[in-house]
Amino acid sequence: MTTSDISSNSEAKISTPSRSSTSSANVTKRLQTELMSLMMSSPPGISAFPNDENLLQWTATIDGPDATPYAGLSFKLSFEFPNTYPLTPPTVLFKTPIYHPNIDFSGRICLDILKDKWSAIYNVQSVLLSLQSLLGEPNNASPLNGQAAELWDKDPVEYKRLVLARHRDDEETGLGSF
Amino acid sequence: MSGPAYTPTDEELAHLQKLSSEFEPEVTGPLVGERQSSSAITTEYANADPVYRVKTAALPSKYSHYRTCRGDGHCGWRAIAFTYFEALLRLGDRNRFLEEETRLRSMGNLLNSIGFQEHLYEDFADECFDLLRKTESLVSAGNDERAAAELLASFNDVGVSMAIITYFKLLTSAWIQTHPNDFAPFLDLGQDIRQYCSTQIEPSVCEIDHVGMSALAEVLVKQAGFALEVLYLDRSAGEEINTYRFDPVSNDGLPLHNPPTLRLLYRPGHYDILYKMEDVQQPAIPQAPLHVALADYADEFVPMPTSRGMSDVMSLIPGMYPTGLGQNWPSVSYDYNPSPIPQPQMAAVPTYTSVPVPTTSQEYVNTAHHNVPLESPVGMSLNPPMTIERGGPFRPSMYELEPGFQSNHSQSLPFQTSIFRNSHYNTAHFLNPDFQPEEWSPDSEYVTGSRSRHKSASQ
Repeated sequence: MTTSDISSNSEAKISTPSRSSTSSANVTKRLQTELMSLMMSSPPGISAFPNDENLLQWTATIDGPDATPYAGLSFKLSFEFPNTYPLTPPTVLFKTPIYHPNIDFSGRICLDILKDKWSAIYNVQSVLLSLQSLLGEPNNASPLNGQAAELWDKDPVEYKRLVLARHRDDEETGLGSF
Repeated sequence: MSGPAYTPTDEELAHLQKLSSEFEPEVTGPLVGERQSSSAITTEYANADPVYRVKTAALPSKYSHYRTCRGDGHCGWRAIAFTYFEALLRLGDRNRFLEEETRLRSMGNLLNSIGFQEHLYEDFADECFDLLRKTESLVSAGNDERAAAELLASFNDVGVSMAIITYFKLLTSAWIQTHPNDFAPFLDLGQDIRQYCSTQIEPSVCEIDHVGMSALAEVLVKQAGFALEVLYLDRSAGEEINTYRFDPVSNDGLPLHNPPTLRLLYRPGHYDILYKMEDVQQPAIPQAPLHVALADYADEFVPMPTSRGMSDVMSLIPGMYPTGLGQNWPSVSYDYNPSPIPQPQMAAVPTYTSVPVPTTSQEYVNTAHHNVPLESPVGMSLNPPMTIERGGPFRPSMYELEPGFQSNHSQSLPFQTSIFRNSHYNTAHFLNPDFQPEEWSPDSEYVTGSRSRHKSASQ
């Protein structure tokens, strides 16, 4: 929960009251089912798997969609699930540096379904698919990265250059180096 | 530093702005509170705007109790979910729990059909079914009090409470999406149904809006044979709180007669739960003896002069027998309790208070079957109006002099048991189509009058 500053207030609203003892069991069960269904049939271009022993922390990968400045690039993300998941959203961060109007330089994402529009029927897969489409369709009305929002329409060539300049391959980044 | 000339610096303004944008109204208190007298609401508004004062002053006499819901952005959903369970509990029929579980399970197809994946919602649905079963087993063990406590405790468990709310939200969303023609006209212009549901219904944190409430009333409340009544307490003109009802209909499209009703109090941005006096009666011994009560009624149907000088002719009017309009009739109607719609004549269903409660005000003959509401809320006195009704201001109706009315009435009585379900104060009103209790007495007008006006709402 290092990004509590960006996570919505609503999250706190739900999680503050004392929870039932069953809820963490529910999280585990739910995440196990999600993992299972991801492994059985993962849509192309996305993958996710829990870190080591901790089922509440996952690492995921999405491939940049074709016909976008991100085509051919792949991005790692971290998922951290609260005990109240799926009633509250996971904390999702881009671990691979990315140049995008709705993602800041720490990898924090501005996406409504990860905040106030989170619904309990979303899951890892739907979040990854949403993020994938966010890459190709940024919301330039409320950018975290103003320059990127501006360049997206104005100067696609420069935009693409900055995307590539910012991108680092996994070997160079190393997860958790932030 | 706080003089009129003081102007805050930019930093201070920024700080205040930050405080203000981070401000959240207090969200303490239980998720669902204990039932309490609704006179607390009146007290709360005693120093408020006159519009509120007038409107809330009238509240306790019609809605004797209320229950708070925590204003955490889920209160509308939670209030309906809780009262739904409570209405089932009030019916006290274990079969209804099973029926509801079956009905809700069958709606899995509805959820699947609009693309919700079963493994994503089954936990929430199971939580709901678990609570239905838990309550059912306590009810069938005759332990209604524990069932009520269990219900309250479960809804105060965030995990259970939120799971059930989430499940109901998904049902609501599925219902809206499968009935687009019913709801599309109420959305913002050009808003897509799917988009509406994903931003206004499905999010974990989103308060119920009117469209959502209509859909939830359809999918959950009305199909269970319940009605939903929402009282809007706002600053609109008028002395009465505006009421909106969602009424169930039977299979043939006719409105159900006197359905169990979930009642909510809406104050801008917040929902609480309301109860009428008859909702509060503890369900007791299931088969409150229908015929005993009827016999009782017939026995009492004897003109009997009272010390108050009531004329014989007065006692010819149904309900005007000496035992008192307001006291005896309620007991009858409680015994008959509003039964659930599907089997309206089943005596075993919801029974209110068959425990005879000795009352201090009984100076009349037949006390054995008197059931006076257990607690009178402040501002609601049952006795004074009756006294007055028998007094001077009474305006006789044409029926009171009609010979033979009494005998007719007594004969037909056993076949008209459904009338008792309408109103415990004004049952007589139904035997006399032109009978208008409101006009009897200015002083009694309040209690009796309001009840009769809302007779369809009173169960």
